[in-house]
Amino acid sequence: MDDTAQTATAIEQMILSAARLIKDGSILMVGTQWPIIVSLLAKRLHAPNITICYEGGVVLGKVPDRIPLLTADPSVNSSSTLLGGILDTLGMVLHGGRADLAILSGASVDRYGNINTTCIGDYNSPKIRFGGSGGACDFGSLASRTIIVLEHDKRRFPEKVDFITTPGYLNGKDSRARAGLKPNTGPYAVVTTLGLFRFDEEGEMILTAYNPSSSIQEVKDNVQWDLKIDDNVKPLLPPSNEELKVLREQIDPQGMYLRNERFLEGKPISM
Amino acid sequence: MSDKEKLMSMAEAIERYVNDGDILYLGGFVQQAPFAAVHEIIRQGKKDLTISTCAGLIIADQMIGAGLVKHLITTFTWNPLPATAHCFIRAISNGIPKRIELEEYSILALTLAYFAGSLDLPYVATKTMLGSSFDWEQNNAGVKNRLKFQQSPFTGERVCLIPPIKHGVGIIQVQRADAYGNAQVWGILGESRFGLHSCERIIICAEEIVSTDIIMRDPNRTLVPGFRVNAVVEEPYGSHPAPMAGYYDMDWEYFAYYERETRTEELFLNFMEKWVYGVENRKQYLRLLGEKRLKSLHPEGFTSEPISYGKLTSHLELGNG
Repeated sequence: MDDTAQTATAIEQMILSAARLIKDGSILMVGTQWPIIVSLLAKRLHAPNITICYEGGVVLGKVPDRIPLLTADPSVNSSSTLLGGILDTLGMVLHGGRADLAILSGASVDRYGNINTTCIGDYNSPKIRFGGSGGACDFGSLASRTIIVLEHDKRRFPEKVDFITTPGYLNGKDSRARAGLKPNTGPYAVVTTLGLFRFDEEGEMILTAYNPSSSIQEVKDNVQWDLKIDDNVKPLLPPSNEELKVLREQIDPQGMYLRNERFLEGKPISM
Repeated sequence: MSDKEKLMSMAEAIERYVNDGDILYLGGFVQQAPFAAVHEIIRQGKKDLTISTCAGLIIADQMIGAGLVKHLITTFTWNPLPATAHCFIRAISNGIPKRIELEEYSILALTLAYFAGSLDLPYVATKTMLGSSFDWEQNNAGVKNRLKFQQSPFTGERVCLIPPIKHGVGIIQVQRADAYGNAQVWGILGESRFGLHSCERIIICAEEIVSTDIIMRDPNRTLVPGFRVNAVVEEPYGSHPAPMAGYYDMDWEYFAYYERETRTEELFLNFMEKWVYGVENRKQYLRLLGEKRLKSLHPEGFTSEPISYGKLTSHLELGNG
C-alpha cells in the first residue's frame, strides 16, 4: 500500500503539522477555530493522554462525538470531566502555571510572534475591525509555550501588527521580561498553510519547514519582512493515508473545518 | 426579600428593573445567553445603556444595531460561525447607527473585574495583558480601559491591576429556578457567577419554574441565591439561537442566517422587524421558528446518576457511647 498516495490539502497539512507538535501527556489550553481540530486530531492520533482545556471552564474527558465549532459548543456538555467557570481554566490552569501549551489562531501575526485579532489601522477608527481578544491575550501572556495556527496570506504577516491583542516577543526576546510577563513564556511555533516557523534567540520568527507543495521562496514572498530561514530547513512530512482518514472520516466527517461547510455558502437558508 | 414570590412576565421584569442609562450585565458564556430578555429590552426602547458581557457575540450586536448602546465593556463581539458581527463593525467603523465607546479586556481580566466587583475588592493584581496593546503604559494604541500598571509591593515585579466592575442590573437565562429566584444552571459556567453577584438588581429567566424542594435537593447547582434576585421569568427557549445544556442545541443555521440577513443596515432593520419588533413576546418568536425547528434542536438525553446529600433529621445526642 502506498502510504502517501492521497494528497493533503494545504489546510489538512497545516492541521496535521500543528498536531504533531503536541506531546502526549501535555496539558493544553485550546482556543477557538483551528486549535480545536488540531488538538482533537492529536488526541486521536499520537497523543491520547493530552488534557484539553477550554477558556469557559471546560476540561474535556474525550474527543466529543460531534466536533465542537467553538469552545463553548454544547457538544462539550456530554464529553467533559469538568464544566466549571473561567477561573477554573483561564484562572487556575493557565494563570496558575499548570498549562504546558496553548494553541491559538489569529487574524495576523508579526515578526516577533505578536498576534492581532483586534483591528487593522487605528484602534479608534479602524480600516478593518475583528472580534477582539476573547481569551487570546491571556493565552499568549501566560502559557509557557504558544502555538499559533492560521491560514497563510501575505496580509496576515506584517512586520509589525497594528494592534498587539496577544503578546508574542513584543520587540525582541527580553521585552517580555521588561513588560513584566512571566519568565519562560511566549510563542513556540507558528503553523500555516505554507510552513512551520519557530523563534530564534532574538524572539524572531524563523522558517524551519515548508509545505511540500510550496517552496522556501513562496514563503519568503508571503511575509512582509526579510524572513530568516533555518540552516536545516526542510519540507514538512505529508500526512499518511491513515492520518488523513482519521481527520476526514472521524474528526470532521461533515467538513465543517476542512471544507467550510458551516458557512452554508451558496446554499439557501429559510427561516 | 427571599420569601417573596418574584414571578412576573418578561415585559414587567424589564419595565420594572431595567432603566435608561443602566450598566447592564448580560450573563451566560455563549450557553445561557439571555436572548429573550434582550429582545424585550429592545422592544421597550431602553436607551443609553452600558452593556457589559464577557462573550459579546450577536446578542450585543443586536443591541448595538438597535441603537440602545452607548458604551460596551467586553472581550470580543463576533458571530460564532465565525463571521463578522455586522452591527458592531458598522458602529465602530462608521458610527452607524451611532458611535459606541469601547472598553475591552481579555476574558480572564474581565472575569476578575467582575470577581472584584462582586466581592467589593479595590482591585486584583495579575500577570495577564502585560505588554499587549491593552497595556497602554507600554504600548499606547489608543485603548480606553481602566487597567493600571504597578510594581508589586511584595516582589517588585510589574503587575496589571484590574479594577472592580459593578452593574446596575444583570440578566441570565438558566435551566430552572424557583419562584423566589434560587437559580440553578449546568453546562459551561463562564463568568456568570461573578457577573451576577456584581449587580445591584438581578433578573432570572428560566426554562422551567420548579419548587424550592427541587432546588434544595441539589444546592451545589445554585448559581445565585434567591435573596439577591428581583424578578423571575418563566421563558422556555429563552436563549435561542444560543444553546441550553439538556434543553436545546445551538442553532447554527440561524447564526449563518443572521450573518447573511444583517450585512447592511437596511437588511438588519428588516431582520429586527421580523424577529423582534414584529412579535409581541417570546411565544410569538417561537411560533415564527416553528415546532419542527425547535424539535430538531432537542438533544438526546444524557442523565446524570442521582447523588445523595444525606439527610440528618434527629437532634444530636452526644456522649451516649
